[in-house]
Amino acid sequence: MRRGAFHRGLTLFWWVVMAFLYLPLAVIVFYSFNAANSSAYFAGFSLRWYDKLIHNDQLLSALSNTLVLGIASSTLALGIGTLIGYGMYRHRARKLGWLIVLIYLPIVMPDIVFGISEMAFFISIDRQFGILGPSLLTMIIAHVTFQIPFVALIVYSRFVGLDPTLFEAAKDLYASPFQRARFFLLPTLKPSLIAAFFLSFTLSVDDFVISFFNAGPENATLPIYIWGAIRRGVSPEINAIATLMIGAVLIAALLSLMFNRHKQH
Amino acid sequence: MSKPESPYPLAAHSRSLSPDTRHLLWSVAPGVIWIVVFLVLPSLYLIGVAFMTNGPYGQPQMPLTLDAFSQLAGFGFLGWSPGNLYTLLRSLWQTLLATGLVILVAYPLAYRISISREKWRALMLLAVVVPSWTNQVIRAFGWMNLLSPGTPLAELAQFFGLIGPNMGLYPSNFAVTLGLIYNFLPFMVLPLYAAFEKLDYALVEAARDLYASPLRAFWLAVFPQTLPGLLAGTVLVSIPAFGMYVVPELLGGGRAMMLGNLVASQFAGGSNWPLGAAGALIMLLATFGGLFAMRRIGKRLSGGEEVVI
Amino acid sequence: MTVSPSAEPDAVDTQRVRDASAIALRNLHKRFGRDAVALDGVDLDIHAGEFFTLLGPSGCGKTTLLRILAGLEAPNEGSLTIGGKDVTTTPPHLRSVNTVFQSYALFPHLSVHDNIAFGLRMKGVAAAERERRVQEIADFIKLGALMERRVNQLSGGQRQRVALARALVCEPDVLLLDEPLSALDAGLRNQLQVELQRTQKRLGMTFVFVTHDQEEAMVMSDRIAVLDGGVIQQVGPPQTVYEHPINAFVARFMGHVNLFEIDSVSGDRVTTALGQLRLEQPLAEHERHGMLLIRQEVIELGPEVPEGYNALEGVVRERLYRGSRVEYRLEVDGVVLLATASNLGQRLHAVGDRVTVSICPEDIVRLDA
Repeated sequence: MRRGAFHRGLTLFWWVVMAFLYLPLAVIVFYSFNAANSSAYFAGFSLRWYDKLIHNDQLLSALSNTLVLGIASSTLALGIGTLIGYGMYRHRARKLGWLIVLIYLPIVMPDIVFGISEMAFFISIDRQFGILGPSLLTMIIAHVTFQIPFVALIVYSRFVGLDPTLFEAAKDLYASPFQRARFFLLPTLKPSLIAAFFLSFTLSVDDFVISFFNAGPENATLPIYIWGAIRRGVSPEINAIATLMIGAVLIAALLSLMFNRHKQH
Repeated sequence: MSKPESPYPLAAHSRSLSPDTRHLLWSVAPGVIWIVVFLVLPSLYLIGVAFMTNGPYGQPQMPLTLDAFSQLAGFGFLGWSPGNLYTLLRSLWQTLLATGLVILVAYPLAYRISISREKWRALMLLAVVVPSWTNQVIRAFGWMNLLSPGTPLAELAQFFGLIGPNMGLYPSNFAVTLGLIYNFLPFMVLPLYAAFEKLDYALVEAARDLYASPLRAFWLAVFPQTLPGLLAGTVLVSIPAFGMYVVPELLGGGRAMMLGNLVASQFAGGSNWPLGAAGALIMLLATFGGLFAMRRIGKRLSGGEEVVI
Repeated sequence: MTVSPSAEPDAVDTQRVRDASAIALRNLHKRFGRDAVALDGVDLDIHAGEFFTLLGPSGCGKTTLLRILAGLEAPNEGSLTIGGKDVTTTPPHLRSVNTVFQSYALFPHLSVHDNIAFGLRMKGVAAAERERRVQEIADFIKLGALMERRVNQLSGGQRQRVALARALVCEPDVLLLDEPLSALDAGLRNQLQVELQRTQKRLGMTFVFVTHDQEEAMVMSDRIAVLDGGVIQQVGPPQTVYEHPINAFVARFMGHVNLFEIDSVSGDRVTTALGQLRLEQPLAEHERHGMLLIRQEVIELGPEVPEGYNALEGVVRERLYRGSRVEYRLEVDGVVLLATASNLGQRLHAVGDRVTVSICPEDIVRLDA
C-alpha cells in the first residue's frame, strides 16, 4: 500500500503544478471581465474592456504589425530554411559541422544579445549609409534569422525519417528533376512545411525581446504594446488583450491535439 | 562559405567545384549568407564595440580600450562600486537557484506523466507546454497580478510576516525566481519525460531482485538512465535563464536586476554601448562555455556518444 | 508489350522483346572512394526474356551491379547496353528499366492506386490510357480491393505486390528486383517466389533478380550468376551451378560441405583425406590440383555396396531428423562427412552405428580450390 500512497502523492503534486502553471493565466482571464478598473477586487461581469479594445487604434495597428511581421518573416524563413534542410539531408554524408554550428547559433544565442547586436549593427549601418534604420523591415530580418534554424531542422528531420530509396524510386519511375520536386518532395514535405510555418509564426508572435530592440516607434507589435501599457501603469485593458492572445494559444493547442490524434489514426 | 577541405571561397573557384559541392552550396547559401550577415557579423560588431571607447553621445568610438570591462567590474568616475558585480553574481545565483528548483519540480512531474496511460500522456505534456506558448510578457504580467499588494498570496505572506504591510510579493528576487521557474519548467519536463519513457524497467527489477531498497534501486537503476535527459534540460533551462530580460525587468525592479537588464539599459537609457557590449560578451562566453562543458559531460556520460541538444 | 491477363501469354511479340531487352555488360568496374572495390571487371550477357539471378553474399557487388543497371550508380569503367543501345551514362528517369526495391519504397503520401500510376504520370501517359493500364495491372496482380488504401495500411506481402505492380505497369524492357522477398516470412516467401516466376513467364519480360538465398535463386531462375569480391565466379542454369560448381566458393555458397583437397592422383584414383576414391574417368593434366566435391544427397549408407561404387567405413556421430530427410554426421578415417538420406521409411541409423558409405564415381566432382 506504500506504493499506492506514493502514486497518490505524485498525482496530487501534478495538480499543484497545474495550478501553478495556469493560475497566472486564469487571473488575467478572470479580471478581463471585471467591471471595476482594478485587479484587486471583482465588481461584476462586464465586457467593457473588450469594447475599449475595438476602439483603440494603437492596439489595432499593433495587431496588424504583429500579423504582417509574423506572416512575412515566416514565409521568408520557410523558403530559406527548407533549402538548408534539404541541403543538409542531401549532403549528410559530408562533414557539415560548420553548417550545424551556424544553424544552432541563432537557437543558442541569448535573445537579449541577439536583439541588441542586431540593433547596434542596424543602427551603425543606418548612420553610415542611411538604410536599415529601426523599422518593420529590420524586425522581419531579425525574425527570419531566428526562424530559419527551426524550419531547417523540421525539414531535415522529416527527410531523415524517410526511406532513402524513395528518392531513387522517384528517379526510377521516370520523374525528371523538376517532377521529383513537384510530385515527390513537395507533397511528402507538405505536413512538415505547414508545421514549420506555424512554428515560425508562433515564435514570431511570442517574441518580445528581439522585436523590442529592433522596432521603430511606429512598429509596436502586440507584446511591445502590452509591455508599454504595463510600464505606463496597469490597465484592465491589458487583461482583455492578453486574454485574447491566451485564447489564440489555447485554440492552437486544441488544433495541434486534434491534428496529432488524426495522424495516429 | 567554402567547403571545409578547401581554404578558398567559392566565388573564385566555382568553376572547379564538383556538381555535388555546387548543389550543396546552392541549397544552403541563402540561409548561410542570411545568418552570417544578420547574426554573425552583428555579433562580431558587438564584440568589437566592447573594446571601444564610449563617446560623449553614447556612440562607440576609437581608440580600442579595456575600459568597458573595468567599468563592468565596478570601476567608475566615482571610484569602485560593487553594483555591477552584484548584478553578475545575482544572475549566476538566480540561474543556479531556478535551475535547481526546476529540476526538483520537473523530475517527479515527468515521472508522473511517464507512468500514465498512453492516451493521456500527450495531453499531459501539452498541458505542461501550453502556458509557455503564450507571450512571456503576458506570463510575467499574470504573476504581477497574482503577487501585487492586496492579493491573497501577498496577504498570506504578510500574515506570516514575510513582507511588510501594504507590500506586494513583487518586485523582489523571490518573484524573479518564481518567474524563471514558471518560464523554463517545460524545457526540463520534456527531455526528462523522454528519458523516463525510454527507461528500461528490467534494470529496476534486476536491482530489486538483488535486494536493493526502493531508494537504492532508484539511485542505481533509474537515476543514471535519466541523466542524459537531466543534462539536456539543464542546458535548455540555465542558458536562457542566465540571459533573461523580461522577467527581472517586470518582476524584479532595481535590486533584482540581472545581467540582461544591465546590458539592455546601456543601449536604451544609459547609452554606454561599450559597457553593454562587454556585458553581452560575458553572456556569450557563459553561453558557449556552458554548452561546451555540457557537451563534454554528456560525451563522458554516454561513453563517447553525442548527446543531441 | 501489353500486360493482358486474359489473352494467352504467347501473344507477346517475342521478337521485339528480344531486340529491346537483351543486356550486355562489358568490363564493368566500380570503386567507392579510393579502396573499396565493388565490381572488378564484370562481363555478362543477360538474354531477353530471361529470369536472371545475381547471387552472392552481402558485399559481393550484386546490389551495385543492379544499381548500375537501374542507373542509380555510374560505373568507373566499362559499358552497359540494353537492347543494343549504350545506356552507360543515361540517367535513371530516361531508362526503360524499373526496380522493385528491397524496402519497396512506396510513396507514403500516395494511395496504392496513385503509387502504381506514378511512373505513367511522370512519362506523360494520357489519363484515360493511364487508368486503363493501372486497372489492367491491378487485375493481373490481384490488387482490386487495395487500390484506395494508404501505403501504411498494407501488410508486407501486399506492399511487395504493389511495388511489383508499380514497376510492371510501366512495361519496362527490364525489371530489376532487389531482394524483394527478404523481408517476408517463410511461407509467404515461398508463395511469392512461385507467383513472381509465373508472372515473368507470362509476360516474357527480362527479370534481373538479386538475392543471397541460393534456394530462392534455384527455384526461380533460368540462369544464375554467382558473385564474390566484385567478380563473377560462375554463370549457368541452376542445375549446373548446383551440381557442377566451378570452384570451392561457389560450392560452399550453394550449400555443399563435403569438399576434400586432392593430395595425389594416379589414373582414375584420387587420394584425399577421406582415403582413395575412384572417379568416373582419369583427371586431365591441368585438373590434378584442386578439390573433390561429394554432395550430401548422393552418399548412400547401407550394408551392401552397389557394383562399381567407392566403399568407405564410417561411424555415425550425430543425427539430425528433419522429417522428409535425415542428416548424418559421419566420421570416416577421422574426417567428417555429411550425408543426407531421404526418409523413405527405412530403419534409421543410430548414433554410434558403424555404417558402410558408398559413393558412385559419377557423383564425385572435381573443382578448383
